[in-house]
Amino acid sequence: MIGSSEVLVPELEARARAIRRRIVEMAEAQPCHIGGSLSMAEILAVLYFHVLRIQPEQPDEPGRDHFILSKGHATPALYAALAERGFFSPSELKTFLDEDSRLPGHACTKTPGVEVSTGSMGHGLSIGLGIALGCRMDRSPSRVYVLLGDGELQEGSNWEAAMAAAHLDADNLIAVVDRNRYQASALTERLCSLEPLSERWSSFGWGVASVDGHQVSQLLRAFRSVPCRKGRPTVILAHTVKGKGVSWVESGGGWHFGRFSPEQASRALAELRA
Amino acid sequence: MSARPYPEVLLELARENPAVVGLAADCSGCLASLASEFPDRALDLGIAESNLIGVAAGLAIRGKVPFAHGMAPFLTMRSFEQIRTDLGYGHRNVKVVSAACTGLTGGVYGPTHHAIEEIALMRLIPGMTVLMPADAWQTEQAARAAASLPGCVYLSLASGDVGLDESGRTFEVGRAELLRPGRDVTLVTTGVATAGALEAAETLAAAGVSARLLSMHTVKPLDVEAIRSAARETRGLVTVEEHSILGGLGGAVAEVMAEWACPVPLRRVGLPDVFAWKTGGRESLRRHYHLGAEAIVAAVRDLLGTAITETPEKQP
Repeated sequence: MIGSSEVLVPELEARARAIRRRIVEMAEAQPCHIGGSLSMAEILAVLYFHVLRIQPEQPDEPGRDHFILSKGHATPALYAALAERGFFSPSELKTFLDEDSRLPGHACTKTPGVEVSTGSMGHGLSIGLGIALGCRMDRSPSRVYVLLGDGELQEGSNWEAAMAAAHLDADNLIAVVDRNRYQASALTERLCSLEPLSERWSSFGWGVASVDGHQVSQLLRAFRSVPCRKGRPTVILAHTVKGKGVSWVESGGGWHFGRFSPEQASRALAELRA
Repeated sequence: MSARPYPEVLLELARENPAVVGLAADCSGCLASLASEFPDRALDLGIAESNLIGVAAGLAIRGKVPFAHGMAPFLTMRSFEQIRTDLGYGHRNVKVVSAACTGLTGGVYGPTHHAIEEIALMRLIPGMTVLMPADAWQTEQAARAAASLPGCVYLSLASGDVGLDESGRTFEVGRAELLRPGRDVTLVTTGVATAGALEAAETLAAAGVSARLLSMHTVKPLDVEAIRSAARETRGLVTVEEHSILGGLGGAVAEVMAEWACPVPLRRVGLPDVFAWKTGGRESLRRHYHLGAEAIVAAVRDLLGTAITETPEKQP
């Protein structure tokens, strides 16, 4: 997955578009978490098609990097990325939320490529820290990437993990925050404000990179800079738009949860093709 | 040779298995021996139980066998969801070890430091093994068993004395240890409540009542066969635990007996459905809330429907 940026950036942008199209197809088939899936398409594209050292045919290989979707409700995006990356056939996406499917509503280890079951907010970062510490004990160069929702940062357990990770100099732990500004029922800043978010992470001892989470080149630069504070864990604050790529979802508060009618799905797909 | 202190047992387990690591939430004493020999495998994460369990889950994903130590009330309640979801649902090979404040051992430090729910909470989690040893010997055996048992284990450390030396004792997960044979009534006990049950059995013997004493160190999976045998061979069962009477050992035994339409009665001795509000040491609380030896004897008297008088124990 190496290439010059002239080739790499358009390639990853295409992956992100493909992920979004699959999210729309799943959101037509089943009610699901639409907005927070659409907002993280570039993040997953960059991770799964450039950053993560993983082999879909050998998912347990000890030298692998680890990925945890702490915002475990954003499964449409995750499944789309895993299918695109070859962990299972894209045709299996049609079984999303079906009886006995391997693709349930929240991330679960029954899905090929999913290493940690998530869904309850505020669990992923501690687990990621544990994996990171285990890698260090094994003198493994593996890195651990944890994708957090912004709303879930209201859970105190994240800050327990953040404090410990900095104290333990876990520089192989990288958190990415999908800062799409909305939680389930409102703007984060309206319910319980997260700002100044960058300063908060920084004061906890983390290296912080703030990027436009829809700009592949910025994401690539941020991942290449890891650890962006020597010896410390890194957090990439990816500023995103909830519902990105579908105009009326973007302007309509991001559609945390919902379902597209066939007509809405075809309009969304048309926008994503444009 | 008497049983060793738990920190030494943990060190020995770590010597035997390089995957064993020790974690703690401000319980560094548990890790002291381990840290002296394997400093990289002993990590106290501070007062952050939720993070403790999450980190343990992550280490297990890397093939480690974490022993995660904390104080019973905070370990089981503050991080309950992490234990349930990250360990239980995640099928992680993690040992959750309560290092202090099991049952009412928190005493005068009050209800915040009493663990009156630990059994109920831990046994609710699918796949969890719940080990409540009675004394230092059972604790060592339980820790060894936990290390070799794949999966999630809750282990509540105990250092009490149940009046038995090691000779001839056997420990098997899921199999009650018979501490005392008896034919009239069976006392089923667990964890730190065991010494009180033993004292009651001695009082009953002096009064001519032969009480069988089962140490149910494994509350889950429960030794159903030992309960059935007790129900067949004695006139009733009394559960004894330093725990709420709701959902703990008494609850577990009642579930077995009810579904089986057991012909003999059951009494549960435990903390009635209250907080131990009174300020008092552990023994004082046990007396006040009717969990001590006197209360156990009274429960037996009630169950057998007979006055218990001080007569010498009859020979079989």
